[in-house]
Amino acid sequence: MKKFLLLLACAASTSALAQRPQAELSCRFTGTDFVYDCVIRLMRAGRPLDGVQILLGADMPSMPMAHNVAPVKAKPGAKPGEYQARLDLEMTGEWAVKLRLSGPVRDQLVLHYEFDEKGARPAPKRSGTPPRK
Amino acid sequence: MDEYTIGVLTNVGLFTFLALSAYLLLIAGEMSFGQQAFFGVGAYSGGILTAMYGLQLPLAALGAMVLGALAATLVGLPTLRLRGLYFAMATLAAAEMARILFELFHFQIEVEGETTGPDGTQGFRGIRWVFEHGVEPLEYMALVYALLLVVLAAFLAVERSRLGATLRSLGEDPELAASLGVNVGRLKLGVAAVAGALAALGGVLFAHHNTYIEPRNFDIMLGVHSLAYALIGGLGTALGPLLGVALDIGVLEGSRIFGGARMIVFGGLVAVLLVFRPRGLLDERVVHWFGVRAFKRS
Repeated sequence: MKKFLLLLACAASTSALAQRPQAELSCRFTGTDFVYDCVIRLMRAGRPLDGVQILLGADMPSMPMAHNVAPVKAKPGAKPGEYQARLDLEMTGEWAVKLRLSGPVRDQLVLHYEFDEKGARPAPKRSGTPPRK
Repeated sequence: MDEYTIGVLTNVGLFTFLALSAYLLLIAGEMSFGQQAFFGVGAYSGGILTAMYGLQLPLAALGAMVLGALAATLVGLPTLRLRGLYFAMATLAAAEMARILFELFHFQIEVEGETTGPDGTQGFRGIRWVFEHGVEPLEYMALVYALLLVVLAAFLAVERSRLGATLRSLGEDPELAASLGVNVGRLKLGVAAVAGALAALGGVLFAHHNTYIEPRNFDIMLGVHSLAYALIGGLGTALGPLLGVALDIGVLEGSRIFGGARMIVFGGLVAVLLVFRPRGLLDERVVHWFGVRAFKRS
């Protein structure tokens, strides 16, 4: 029975490890044009993910390659799984924020956020033709 | 080299493929506003081949180039019958059709427990070949420039050859070229196909650099920029498009002199150049002048 439980625990932890991390962003406008203080919440399998090195970059989907934002390294934040970084963008609008994770987790995440004078919020899903069933 | 410089230089390299694609058509006498469509074809097909079917990037790039050339041939067959402004409008319309097709394109499969593939307007995420193969940004930049060097060397070799002279004569006066026995229609179609393959190569490299693509990436802005870069840099040599891209992305953007007003400065630069140097900074006269000086020295 013990062996079975151990095996089950191992399987659960392996599947949690196999899951890709997920990130959320909340950004506050600093008052300086296009500069935002951002908090990144990093999780995997619903648990906060600590000790990860995060490099933040951004690109504008409507003008690819034309806007080069200097990537910044995020610092550990106040709570577990939280990281802080300051993003210096070129204009308001929708940006694809790229997170390159290294250290205990290696991954690359892309988050679409709408930036304005109030801060940032997840970009709304664009309308289009739904997939055929 | 820091991450920012690597990012800027990689983008300069990637954009140059597209600018060279527009340049090739320009020296053959055609102004295309639609090369971004083939860039998109390359990005989507390359992404599908590596992320969904597990192909290696070089093979995916070859496949994307073939598809890009085919797409360009298909567009070129009806549009190359048109001239000047009509051709420009037709290529723009074709590119917008391609972008809308990307928006309608839903094709997703399960790969290692994750759904991946183009999802219409939501784009295509998880093009992770470069990341999964541990290719560092600096190494990827080196790959982009190595390929660009090969392409530029091929361009410079062609420009010195009989084919290059034929292409320029075609651009100057197609009727005269036809009277000298040049099959104008076939040559222009060939040029369009090569330009399509070149744009597709840029697209596949862009998709793998960016790790995600979406239809909006391939809208008219991209086409206008690629054309503007070729025109700013100059039509005298294949180094012109590289100079055009480096001037805008490398100098204006890299130095951040103009901040958010960069696009206004860029638009003004295009307008001024079109008035004073309609064939760009490195036009045929400048290239000839350099050529004569080099010949005298030797």
